[in-house]
Amino acid sequence: MPDETTAVDFERTFLPHMDAAYNLARWLVRNDHDAQDVVQDAYLRALRFAGGFRGDNPRAWILAIVRNAAFSWLKSNRGSDPPVLFDENVHEGGAEETGLEADALRKADASMIRGALEELADEFREVIVMRDIEGLSYKEIANAAEVPIGTVMSRLARARTKLAHSVKNRIAKG
Amino acid sequence: MDCDTARGLIHGHLDGELDLIPDLEVDRHVEQCDRCTAEYATIRALQTRLKDQSLYFEAPAELKEKTRRAIHRALPRTQASPSIRRSSARRAIQFGIPMAVAAILALLIVPAAIRPGHNEIVAQEVLASHVRSMMASHLMDVASTDQHTVKPWFNGKLDFSPPVADFAKDGFPLVGGRLDYIDGRAVAALVYQHGKHVINVFMWPAPEAAHSAKIETQQGYNLEQIVFAGMNCWIVSDLNPTELAKFGELLRARG
Repeated sequence: MPDETTAVDFERTFLPHMDAAYNLARWLVRNDHDAQDVVQDAYLRALRFAGGFRGDNPRAWILAIVRNAAFSWLKSNRGSDPPVLFDENVHEGGAEETGLEADALRKADASMIRGALEELADEFREVIVMRDIEGLSYKEIANAAEVPIGTVMSRLARARTKLAHSVKNRIAKG
Repeated sequence: MDCDTARGLIHGHLDGELDLIPDLEVDRHVEQCDRCTAEYATIRALQTRLKDQSLYFEAPAELKEKTRRAIHRALPRTQASPSIRRSSARRAIQFGIPMAVAAILALLIVPAAIRPGHNEIVAQEVLASHVRSMMASHLMDVASTDQHTVKPWFNGKLDFSPPVADFAKDGFPLVGGRLDYIDGRAVAALVYQHGKHVINVFMWPAPEAAHSAKIETQQGYNLEQIVFAGMNCWIVSDLNPTELAKFGELLRARG
């Protein structure tokens, strides 16, 4: 994109990815109103840096900005909305139970999966949403979250394990 | 490949992120290991469920519209795209000679304004930043009326130390600060309040050439640029020019 970004160029390149932007923001901040603020803020930030966009994946580029805008929001709003504490001993069962989890996941209501994902800690929720819902590559996630690719891989592994256990626990509780 | 290594790599395998050799080795291990087969099935099931449409939040139409409008407001008018100008000329021909004349005049006038001075561009960025800070509830990174809290907060975040002062007794209390990005660099943004008006003060070290204070009005906001204490300083608010000038004086007196 040329340095002199025009509204039309910018819209053509980035507006088609607003569903993805909103989806990510909505999962990270967990309510509609603030997700809308985050997306709008991210697009205005993107507008200012769009002259520097040289990549071939505008969706990954805008999602990285949304991710960072959402985390700034989370950071400044922590006071009023404490993170859900995750007790690993309760939520992560033994490895021998994994066979049952695939079944549980297939049987679970969509609302159980949604609830389990919503309760994951931010750093785990973001990798699941970026990888399994938005389909970003490890490299794109690493760029967005500013961590090494190896960290993305291990975080994703832990996130999926926690999520699977949490869904199974929900089913057990009914 | 041993079981622990394989378990660590199953995720990368399912995500298509492994090189060929480890990828094949994971495959081979999973085939002969019950534990890893179960793990594999769990991740596959999870991935399938996460593709469920009910887990996807589509952007509300109002957000798309709101953002499109904000983009148009934030972009300097002088950067109107050539394609916009071409189509407006086309329409002018359809609507007859007076419109065509107007369009031609516009085409003649617009290019003269197409390369705004550097200061013009900075002014636009400052304004866009101010509007953005008001709109997206991202006014402050550090909320404090105490200058001794706000000033140290910038340490390590900027390559300079901005002068931070509170003017509460003059009717302009300091309410906080945040990091911003203007003219290709990280800058300090201090937030002050006057009645119901919010004032953003952007600061970064000034180059040699100092500009005298001047106030301009853009899109209903007043901007003032001053140089003091080695700082290039932009003040922006919807406050009236007289009050804004008074605030600029306070700032300069303290510097």
